[in-house]
Amino acid sequence: MKQAQLNGSQHTLQGKSWLQKLGGQYQLWIMVLPAIIYIAIFCYGPMYGIQLAFRDFDFSKGLTGGDWVGFKYFEQYFNSPMFWPTLRNTFVIAFVSILFGFPMPILLALVVNSIRSNKRKRVLQTTVYMPYFISTVVLVALLQIMLSPTTGLIDGLLKTLHLLPADTNLIGDPGSFVPVYVISAIWQTCGWNSIIFIAALSSVDSQLYDAARIDGANRWQTVWHVEIPAILPTIIILLIMNMGNILSVGFEKTFLMQNSLNKSVSEVISTYVFNVGVKSNQFSFGSAVGLFNTVINFMFLILANSLAKKSSNISLM
Amino acid sequence: MKWLMDLEEKANVDIEWQQISADWDQKKSALFASGEIPDLLFNATQNSDFVQFNGLFEDMGPLIEKEAPNIQKMFSEHPELKALATQMDGKIYGTPRYKGIWPGSTATMFINKTWLDNLGLKVPATWDELEQVLIAFRDGDPNQNGDKTDEVPMDFNPIGWDFTPKLLLGSLGLPLSNSAGDGYFTEDAQVKNFYVDERFKTLMQFLQKLYGQNLINKEAVTQDYSKFQSLARGNGTTAKVGFTWGWETGDRFGNELKDQYISLSQLKEHADSTNELYWSNDYYFQNYGANAVSISASSKKKDAAMRFIDAFYDPTVSMQVLFGGMNDTDKGIKDNGDGTYQVLPPADSSLDPGSWKWTNSFADNGPMYIADELKDNLKLGTDMQSVLKEKDIYTELLNKADPKTNIYPQTFMKYSTEDTNTLAMNQANINNITDQKWANWLTTKANIESEWDAYVASVNSSGLEQNLQIRQKAYEEYLSTLK
Repeated sequence: MKQAQLNGSQHTLQGKSWLQKLGGQYQLWIMVLPAIIYIAIFCYGPMYGIQLAFRDFDFSKGLTGGDWVGFKYFEQYFNSPMFWPTLRNTFVIAFVSILFGFPMPILLALVVNSIRSNKRKRVLQTTVYMPYFISTVVLVALLQIMLSPTTGLIDGLLKTLHLLPADTNLIGDPGSFVPVYVISAIWQTCGWNSIIFIAALSSVDSQLYDAARIDGANRWQTVWHVEIPAILPTIIILLIMNMGNILSVGFEKTFLMQNSLNKSVSEVISTYVFNVGVKSNQFSFGSAVGLFNTVINFMFLILANSLAKKSSNISLM
Repeated sequence: MKWLMDLEEKANVDIEWQQISADWDQKKSALFASGEIPDLLFNATQNSDFVQFNGLFEDMGPLIEKEAPNIQKMFSEHPELKALATQMDGKIYGTPRYKGIWPGSTATMFINKTWLDNLGLKVPATWDELEQVLIAFRDGDPNQNGDKTDEVPMDFNPIGWDFTPKLLLGSLGLPLSNSAGDGYFTEDAQVKNFYVDERFKTLMQFLQKLYGQNLINKEAVTQDYSKFQSLARGNGTTAKVGFTWGWETGDRFGNELKDQYISLSQLKEHADSTNELYWSNDYYFQNYGANAVSISASSKKKDAAMRFIDAFYDPTVSMQVLFGGMNDTDKGIKDNGDGTYQVLPPADSSLDPGSWKWTNSFADNGPMYIADELKDNLKLGTDMQSVLKEKDIYTELLNKADPKTNIYPQTFMKYSTEDTNTLAMNQANINNITDQKWANWLTTKANIESEWDAYVASVNSSGLEQNLQIRQKAYEEYLSTLK
């Protein structure tokens, strides 16, 4: 504004052309440019491949050369016997992951935040976020070894303490697949995901704590009336973003943990796309199923966003 | 691999090699779809690739006529190899391989004779006797180390693999052949699938009974191959596994324990059963291979490429492809000078002959033509001699399989693009049901009898009926080429 007036311009900020606006904030745009380029190339660029879902893939004619077949591959998926099982498994794993996995980092952040000693705080934080750097392949190998029904350390411990029936096979039983999947995921990512909440908590005005103390609030009341409301916007935004990914159940881990015994619960949409689309060269079918998955994700994102907007006026858009 | 460098020099080509051993099945789709592939692909393609990536691979037919005398000789001596290589459009996109000296069965059934002797038991001949033996293995202390709980009476791979109880289907008169990939076999010239066969139900009921009595390794379904291997190799001189399947005793049980095991012929179901007994006839699977080498259609030096490929099919080169070089550096094969050759023991004494072979040559994955007359002039290594000896027990059973009605060589079958796609799609759905069902039946007390009809109906409606029709058509076309 000020600059505009100095230059003797008649325009108000609203009236400026987009180019002028851009010029005024060029430092910000330069900072965000790498991200824009990245997203344009790797996220929007490949989207022209979506048309594969509506065409018969013909290798000799390339991605865009096959005949249009409309919704043939979608119908094929909806009519296939694997439609309901894959959809159900994906939903179950995704919902259980969010239900149990989402609150954990928040709780952890509240705990970390209440530790007074800086040294202990750092040790705890480092310990809990180290597992995040273990690759999925190694993690699953660890699970296989630790949970083996004959020689597994954790398996043996749980059975000696009678926390598990003696004939349980943690890496085989369909019933234990989801718990193992979710608990190991919490162990691995909880510390890392708590960082953003710890950051949000550190910005809470210390006067609020003082005021709460003067009013006679105990520890729990401080958490409930000061800390949670302070990080609520962060929580809601992250929840909305997680909802958008709800069906993108981690392919790698599911695939690696899959075996004949647990396949009834572990075949999710992404592993199915891989098994049929990639391994059997059914590219069009794979694209159609993948696109279907994305559409559902998108619907969840919009739904969660509008719910949040209505209830608390916090939203992404 | 000096022999290979010599070969490059002789053909006057310079090859830049790239080896992909793991996950090729998963990587190749992306590579082929990109359209940029190497000039030469060794052991990297299959028939469905030629159909799905039409135009990516060179038709080698004319090149073979022009530049490849060794391959021509192979085709004239074994016309079925030419049939194997020729696709539906009459073109050849990959050269085949032929060994002819490998046994007619992949798996052998092994039992620990030392354990039987320690417990004063007879070698079982029926399923009932086997059950009694396994119970004795579980309760006694057959390896005599004072620990009654460390014995695993029976161990195997998941049922779709090679070393599995599916071989017991032969007890029930079901003729398996060529590894029965995805469960397909032929009986009386009809293509069938054992996963929906009544006899498979009988087998699963038997296995469920064994599992329920704690006679089968609890990890049989979930363990990977390396764990499967290491368990059977026991602990020093203490064997852990009583009864299992494998390729050869040295490979399966290691040098320390291999002498404790003997191979077992096919069991009868009951002492008074009258079923015809079979053993999986895998002769084609073991000795014939399609698509050893393919050439990229965009290769610039196709003639030179063809000459280089043809050099592999020279009789002495083929032996080196399989067993390692015939020179002082490689020390794979010795030339006796009188037209006979012998496979040398591993120069690195810490390796068994099988592992040695695989580190020094293309081994079974290479392009080769071991002509029939070489059979008598090539003295095999100790591992192969032992393989052949251990599998002698099945000769009579294998010969019983009629090539025109009971042998199903899946590599010989050809399908159109549409059929290839349908087969692949259906199979993914079928496997989803069969894979989990057999594992579930094995490890739980589910009532197989009452679940059976619904299971068969769901497999059939997932596309098995359609797949069987497509396969039947291809099989009949194949039969019409047999003389």
